[in-house]
Amino acid sequence: MELKKLQEDWDSFPEISMEERPILSSDLEKIVVKNPLSDAFYLRRKLLTRIIVFSVLWIVSAVELRSQWISDGPDISELVALSALLSYGLYFHVRLLFFADYPTLLSLPLINFLGKLETVLDKYILSFKFVSGLAGFYVLALLQYLLFRSNKGAFETLSHNDWYKWLILIFISVSFDILLLHTIIPKYRKLLAGVRKYREGIQNGPK
Amino acid sequence: MNNSSKKGGFDVDIRSLLKNQHKRVYAICRLFAHTYKEHQYLFTSIMAAASQNIRSRRDNRDKQTMVFRACINMAALHSIAMEMAPAVDRSIQFKSPDYQRSMTRFRQSMGEASDFEKFRLFLEFEKMPAEELTHLTGLPLSRNASGKKKEKEAGLPRKTSFNFIPYLKQKLVWS
Repeated sequence: MELKKLQEDWDSFPEISMEERPILSSDLEKIVVKNPLSDAFYLRRKLLTRIIVFSVLWIVSAVELRSQWISDGPDISELVALSALLSYGLYFHVRLLFFADYPTLLSLPLINFLGKLETVLDKYILSFKFVSGLAGFYVLALLQYLLFRSNKGAFETLSHNDWYKWLILIFISVSFDILLLHTIIPKYRKLLAGVRKYREGIQNGPK
Repeated sequence: MNNSSKKGGFDVDIRSLLKNQHKRVYAICRLFAHTYKEHQYLFTSIMAAASQNIRSRRDNRDKQTMVFRACINMAALHSIAMEMAPAVDRSIQFKSPDYQRSMTRFRQSMGEASDFEKFRLFLEFEKMPAEELTHLTGLPLSRNASGKKKEKEAGLPRKTSFNFIPYLKQKLVWS
């Protein structure tokens, strides 16, 4: 391409057109309150929701663990594992939210900006493992509750057999993980691949 | 009157800066948008990003650089989104005939330029120094194949970072 010709074509654009009309103050007031990032890239709300949910679950599990500890209940090992998972999950999400730092994200130079987007998306994909793990615990609790209501004998057998409980928990978690891998995660993987490809394209320069 | 007073929760300083820079924002939209709708969407997104960039920076850094970074970053996101969207008609469709004509002519002259070349063209058209590209993209100025070749030929040792337990570092340090 010839730079001179391009410059001429560039200069030939009309001064004012429907496409490039001067911006009014009233329009500007509306524009600046808009979030510039689209939903796919803006994970702040999703992260905040998860942090709130994890916090509530953490408090509930801590209260439950305390009562089981005092009464020497049968589910102490499960509750300790659940509290540990919730604590680490909470730390992970808070760290991700602070790392993403959405208000300053767009002020980074392009390569740093894309690199950070990649990391945030990659960690967000990883965070679904916490969801799968928690699903295992809570679906097992639901199963126990249903057994308690319908078949007390089966409930007694299950609640006094840690080995079965852990096997069911692992099975549910892995199943949930596979389900997420085929439903929600592909969208984020595709987005991550798109950002990575674009960054590499810019870094490697024109062919 | 204080120049940076707030009116309706929006800094007057930022408002006047964005008003002054709106032509440049339109200019980068010309390089990336194919339709009127895309053009307007990209423009509003860039203006919103520029305003956010300026407001979020507590230090008094060059506000113009913040506006240009918003332009380039939002244009990149637009390109990524377009790349991922299902195949659609990519013909140029604008409302005003003059603009449509200018855009068609310009796109024909530009051909299939990469986004990096578009960023360089943008700086060229806006009469900005080439060094500015480093501030905007984070890429060194001498990033080209010949530079790497020369370095290889000269037998210069490559810069390596100290990787302390690489796996753990990768897992624990987010960069």
